[in-house]
Amino acid sequence: MAINPKKHEMPAQDPKVRAHNFEEVALGYEEAVALAEAERCLNCKNQPCVSGCPVNVHIPEFIMKVKEGDFEGAYQIISETSSLPAVCGRVCPQETQCEEVCSLGIKFEPVGIGRLERFVADWHNEQEALKANPPKSNGHKVAIVGSGPAGLTCAGDLAKKGYAVTVYEALHTAGGVLVYGIPEFRLPKAIVAREVQGLKDLGVEVVTNAVIGRTLTIDELFDMGFEAVFVGSGAGLPSFMNIPGESLTGVYSANEYLTRSNLMKAYEDNPNTPIMKGGKVAVVGGGNVAMDAARTALRLGAEKVYVVYRRSMEELPARAEEVEHAQEEGIEFNLLCNPVEILGYENPDDPRDPKNGTVRAIRCIKMELGEADESGRRRPVAIEGSEFDLDVDAVIMSIGTSPNPLIKDTTEGLEVNRRGGIIVDEGGLTSRNAVYAGGDAVTGAATVISAMGAGKVAAASIDEYLSAK
Amino acid sequence: MYKIVRRRPLKPMVTMVDVEAPLVAAKAKAGQFIILRVDEEGERIPLTVAGTNVEEGTVRIIFQVVGATTEALNHKMEGDYLQDFVGPLGKPTETEGIKKVCIVGGGVGCAIALPVAQEFHRIGADVTSIIGFRSEDLVILEEEFDACSNNLVVMTDDGSYKRQGNVTIPLKEMLEAGEKFDMIITIGPIVMMKFVTLTAKEFDTPVTVSMSPIMVDGTGMCGCCRLTLHTEEGSVMKFACVDGPDFNGYEVDFDEAIARGRTYAEFEKKAHDHVCNMFKAADELKAGTNA
Repeated sequence: MAINPKKHEMPAQDPKVRAHNFEEVALGYEEAVALAEAERCLNCKNQPCVSGCPVNVHIPEFIMKVKEGDFEGAYQIISETSSLPAVCGRVCPQETQCEEVCSLGIKFEPVGIGRLERFVADWHNEQEALKANPPKSNGHKVAIVGSGPAGLTCAGDLAKKGYAVTVYEALHTAGGVLVYGIPEFRLPKAIVAREVQGLKDLGVEVVTNAVIGRTLTIDELFDMGFEAVFVGSGAGLPSFMNIPGESLTGVYSANEYLTRSNLMKAYEDNPNTPIMKGGKVAVVGGGNVAMDAARTALRLGAEKVYVVYRRSMEELPARAEEVEHAQEEGIEFNLLCNPVEILGYENPDDPRDPKNGTVRAIRCIKMELGEADESGRRRPVAIEGSEFDLDVDAVIMSIGTSPNPLIKDTTEGLEVNRRGGIIVDEGGLTSRNAVYAGGDAVTGAATVISAMGAGKVAAASIDEYLSAK
Repeated sequence: MYKIVRRRPLKPMVTMVDVEAPLVAAKAKAGQFIILRVDEEGERIPLTVAGTNVEEGTVRIIFQVVGATTEALNHKMEGDYLQDFVGPLGKPTETEGIKKVCIVGGGVGCAIALPVAQEFHRIGADVTSIIGFRSEDLVILEEEFDACSNNLVVMTDDGSYKRQGNVTIPLKEMLEAGEKFDMIITIGPIVMMKFVTLTAKEFDTPVTVSMSPIMVDGTGMCGCCRLTLHTEEGSVMKFACVDGPDFNGYEVDFDEAIARGRTYAEFEKKAHDHVCNMFKAADELKAGTNA
């Protein structure tokens, strides 16, 4: 049978419709489509996809199970290495990981690995929930700081081995960036809640409203009887550009904007948490977070949304599918331009005009690409005299974050690099005995799956350390 | 869930509650704040800690009804539960090396100023307190301030109680008379703190202001609480939730902070009216069934 050269299309909501709702955009494969897509896998010997995956999911094995129609078997294979399959199937940048190195991809489009993973996870979740029983306790206690992808993965791996795991979360809901950051239309919160419940079924305790570094310190966790601590405290404080006008009313960090909309549900009717709706919005930055913010603004009723990014489409770091989806929905990309100032409204005749001090435009300068910098990407250089103004009512800064200082400041002997990221060895061990770390708290802003990978590595190190004790 | 173990109305619109939160009670120091949510759909609001009882495991907060959330909070009674209560957040007020201090509180800000005054009193500093209110029916905590202050001045804007005028009047008189404070600490409406700072500056007296900007998470994630400090090295952005809430008054860009504080004024007014109407309708319904 000839191989279908193309991946089976992912069914999605019509762009014109979805631009005005918060329901999930990608709808997932039907069973027949999943079976047909699984047929495309060559089940090749060297399995490049497995090493392309940060948590080394046994990809060909699970796809063979899908091919046989044994979806539960496929799920069991994925969950051997991944604690959050329904999440990864949705938010992983597969095109730069497993699918990038797929053997089929040499001649044709690679296998839709992410789409199959999502299908398998969703199929499993639709079955009568098979409640996992907590494994036999091994008597060791481990504390996890942060309930984002790194923390949940580390917790899951350790709980399966019989550790008594307690996860401390600063916010009122568990899930970290999966809850406050990634919007409903890309990752429904019910899916995150289900994954968290799965961990609770394994015996993991989740304590919300606990800010480690304030409510309790790392040292106090040891005093409480925990034998190891994993820090997955996440990305931290938003960065700004340090240009004039960033404190005007209507300038948001992407963290604030997305937290208001996602965690605080400002997108729903009659919410208690306010957010600016409608008008024209500029989002500065080109990552996944920028795409999420831009598409959220659109759904909140913005009449026009611009993405302002200083390099070209080629360097845009967001996941390809998100960029495509954003374009289909009508978001305008202003590439090769960089903000130099945010301009505010000022009524000279009326100092009490409520519009005073609010955003009226963002001034940008055009850029061209020069020599490659240390990241290998060509450095954008400003073109003198090319400034222009975009009339907008809100600006969302999505240019990255710097690590939260709370844990560093309250944990003696915990070393950080010059950017404030916690320094760890290959196994995730920090400069403090029995304190491990991973995810954005170590690397700075990165992906969900790399954080999960780090959580996994640390779980293995913690297991090794405590079983030798 | 966090139980309200004690509730006392101080004034018609000002209420004190003690909330069971042992971890927070064990840690909280003067100048720190908490974030709470009244119910599952509620917003997160920051409120400064007004006191703690470590043995009982309770944290005291005093709030004035100003918006939808404080309105809803004011309808919670003893024995009721709050959905979320997290803290202590922010840095405690710096007390080291301060032997003579002037605490200037305004309105419900006095509830926050009180534990600061008490802390200085506890460590043996000489405490002058100037507390100001709009009118007599808003005066709170006078006795408590009296107990921890070497010198207490109470002001009302309309003169309905004690001396008339704003808090900068007695402050300026003291400084003119040659009083030397190691530090002036001011907590209250931002405009008041701005003028306290200007007064202090005239006499070269250092001043600490306690900022209470809009917050969402309060743990150093959203950046909503940012403010600008104009330092000797230039202007820098700081986050009140992790770098503050106390800042050097000389450096704070008050006008910017005032403008940012107004961001959701319109929304909040509407939300408050909505909540008030809901409670009113519920009361009428109850009255109807009882009759």
